[in-house]
Amino acid sequence: MHTSYILRRLLQIIPLFLAVMVLVFVLVHLIPGDPVSAILGDRATPERVARANRQLGLDKPLIVQFGLFVNQLLHGNLGESINLKVPVLRLMLDRLPITLFLDVYAAVLGVLMAVPLAVLAAVRRNTWVDGVIRAVFQVGLSLPVFYVGLQLLTLLGARLGWFPIGGYGVTFGDHLYHLFLPALTLGLNLAAVLVRTLRNSVIEVLTAEYVDFARAKGLRSRVIMTRHVLRNALIATVTLLGLNIGGLIGGAVITETVFAIPGVGKLMVDAIFGRDYPVVQGLTLTFAVLVSLVFLATDLIHARLDPRAELS
Amino acid sequence: MKRLTRAALALAATLSLGQALGVTRGGQMVYGRYADSQFLDPVLNDSNLDIWILTNLYDTLLQPTADGKRVQPGLASRYVVSKDGLTMTLTLRPNIKFADGSPITSADVKWNLDRARNPDNGAWNNLIESIASVAASGNTVTITLKHPDPVLPSALAAFNTAIMPQKLFDAAPGKNDAEKAKAFAEKPIGSGPFVLSEWKRGSYMVLKRNPYYWKKGEDGKALPYLDTLRFEILPDDNTRILKLQAGELQGAEFIPLSRVAELKANPKLNMMLFPSTQVNQIAMNTRPKLKDGTANPLTDVRVRQALNYAVNRPALIQLVTFGNGKPMKSLMSSATPLFDKGQKGYTYDLDKAKALLAAAGFKNGFDVTTMATSGSANDLTLTTALQQMWGAVGVRLKIEQIDSATKVARRTAGDFQMNTGGWTDDLADPSEVTGYFATKGETDAAHTGFSDPTIEKLFPQSQREIDKTKRAAIYKQIQTIYSNAAPIIFLYETPYPVALAKNVKGFYQIPLGYNVFEKTSIEK
Repeated sequence: MHTSYILRRLLQIIPLFLAVMVLVFVLVHLIPGDPVSAILGDRATPERVARANRQLGLDKPLIVQFGLFVNQLLHGNLGESINLKVPVLRLMLDRLPITLFLDVYAAVLGVLMAVPLAVLAAVRRNTWVDGVIRAVFQVGLSLPVFYVGLQLLTLLGARLGWFPIGGYGVTFGDHLYHLFLPALTLGLNLAAVLVRTLRNSVIEVLTAEYVDFARAKGLRSRVIMTRHVLRNALIATVTLLGLNIGGLIGGAVITETVFAIPGVGKLMVDAIFGRDYPVVQGLTLTFAVLVSLVFLATDLIHARLDPRAELS
Repeated sequence: MKRLTRAALALAATLSLGQALGVTRGGQMVYGRYADSQFLDPVLNDSNLDIWILTNLYDTLLQPTADGKRVQPGLASRYVVSKDGLTMTLTLRPNIKFADGSPITSADVKWNLDRARNPDNGAWNNLIESIASVAASGNTVTITLKHPDPVLPSALAAFNTAIMPQKLFDAAPGKNDAEKAKAFAEKPIGSGPFVLSEWKRGSYMVLKRNPYYWKKGEDGKALPYLDTLRFEILPDDNTRILKLQAGELQGAEFIPLSRVAELKANPKLNMMLFPSTQVNQIAMNTRPKLKDGTANPLTDVRVRQALNYAVNRPALIQLVTFGNGKPMKSLMSSATPLFDKGQKGYTYDLDKAKALLAAAGFKNGFDVTTMATSGSANDLTLTTALQQMWGAVGVRLKIEQIDSATKVARRTAGDFQMNTGGWTDDLADPSEVTGYFATKGETDAAHTGFSDPTIEKLFPQSQREIDKTKRAAIYKQIQTIYSNAAPIIFLYETPYPVALAKNVKGFYQIPLGYNVFEKTSIEK
């Protein structure tokens, strides 16, 4: 299935990767403040700062540092965290799965909430049911993620004690249990985006001639809905979902902080504040690749659902 | 019958006495930290995140007392300083062991001290730069000094002179000290009350009791009381508090001062405010010209005094610390040794402030800018309150919110006018805070550019004066000169807020910030 297309898209990631690499390197080094003074903080004497810079190789010209960075990358080495003194790759391998787990979980919950409700809203359009569903998700969309998260934590975690507060557990079942509230928080936000689009496309499709035709043929409405309406209405939604999952990967920062989930989002923020160049660089590059892959997957699914879409 | 009663009474008395002495052993304490440690090497570490818990893993020759003001015996049961102050002889306790069961020798001590004072290692070597050489023989360690050093005992009670096993360190993979330290610090072996058993970075750290720890508990058996100490990393303040309220934690640090009153009212918790050496101040750039070449009104001492008089400290303490602070009266906290109780500090006096400004030629006030840490609610409350207070004397304060790495960079470059900041001592001695704030030293008086010839003369003297009374007199003088010169806005002292479950006993944080878990127990 479109092997050459997929291959081409994968190859396109390489120039993107290079561009991101240069951009990130330059940007990170351009912001004022450096890791050494961020670490040494209040007590940094110029002498100590100079010594630490020398030890970390930060006293070399930028272009030399860039050369070293590229050279490292070519050897499959993302460098070592300046603040934590651990290889970046290891930090990432430790934490990326947690973030990915959370994001997939959130996407699943989001879709599970969005699809039936959007269909219900579309079928009952302009009734009170439609009104309530739209109003609830409109509010959900405008509430900040940290607020929703905290409310869920306070109610379902602290007051009712149904879910643990923070952490992510050890086993797969544990993960599902621990990450339920944060995934729900992110999922609600995602569902709010999806419900709107999906509802509109369902309405659009419902009024299409081929649906009338299907009805005339005497097909049951459930069959019409799943086989004809949803399949067509989902096309726009899949694209939207893909875009949002790309965003989730980097956007889990707040949720990860509130729920104390040691994912890459939190790692990234700490690294930026600590000017931990190798970590920022490594994570950004990984994000770029991941997001490209998600977009590729989105396009493929899109093509699957809509044979008219040309993969070229 | 009578005899029986007496026996019963005696039995009851014995039991209740036993209960009074008895302390529950075993169990696990889960403690919520706001951020994870970074690097568990005593010499090469850099931040309070490491320093404040390192003492649970590593032991020092001497130790700070619980009030943070003096030192007491540690791995060394005693020390003697020669009359001329140039030699210190320490005697190690007999039969002390590292957490792996191997003996702690004087050779280990020599190696650690040499490593800690090597200028190529880390940022803290200057704490013991007075050491000329270290000799080890039997259970005795002899330190020869370049000059008498009254600070040395405190330095030998600080994290960076902690004792590690040389053999294990040398056996760690790596080409040089820094590489070996990285490998060793992944799974460090020290001789502190606990030993690291598991560490999932950014998530949790598990410490197990060190079975070879030398200190004894109330019941005459070896400390610590806890079997396991688990640190959970919970950066969000609300999450830490919720987990504590839900009983998932038995302790949580860095409780926002805004929530202290609420947690004090919770019958399931003990809201602790441990005395600290923490001071909060605003450093002023005292140089005549700013980085951009414009004239700097803060170069005039009268202006700096005026700004200090125009601060309503009690109001600030209510606003920012919710009543949990007290006015800062000297460059050092009142918990720092040799703090001069006679210091008056600045009172709130608008008339005096106006008169001083007029005398300095700023009758109509002036514009001034302060850096504040972006995202810090405290900094924002503080600076907006100051905006109003100083507005009353015509000084218009502009607030620049900047992330902390940039702030540090600009401060180091002298590219600022005012800068919010805080400080905590690492040593049970006033020299660290004084060297940082009051002398040109290497940091240009906390980057303010302030310099006073008398202090520059007095400070080096204080570093060699072993007569306690004389040293106290010197520090009194330094504090007075510094207060008058006012290169900082003196704000307030704040405690360390830690919330504990009611059944947690024996945990404390000393004024230097160290978290002490060796005598912590969880009562049934």
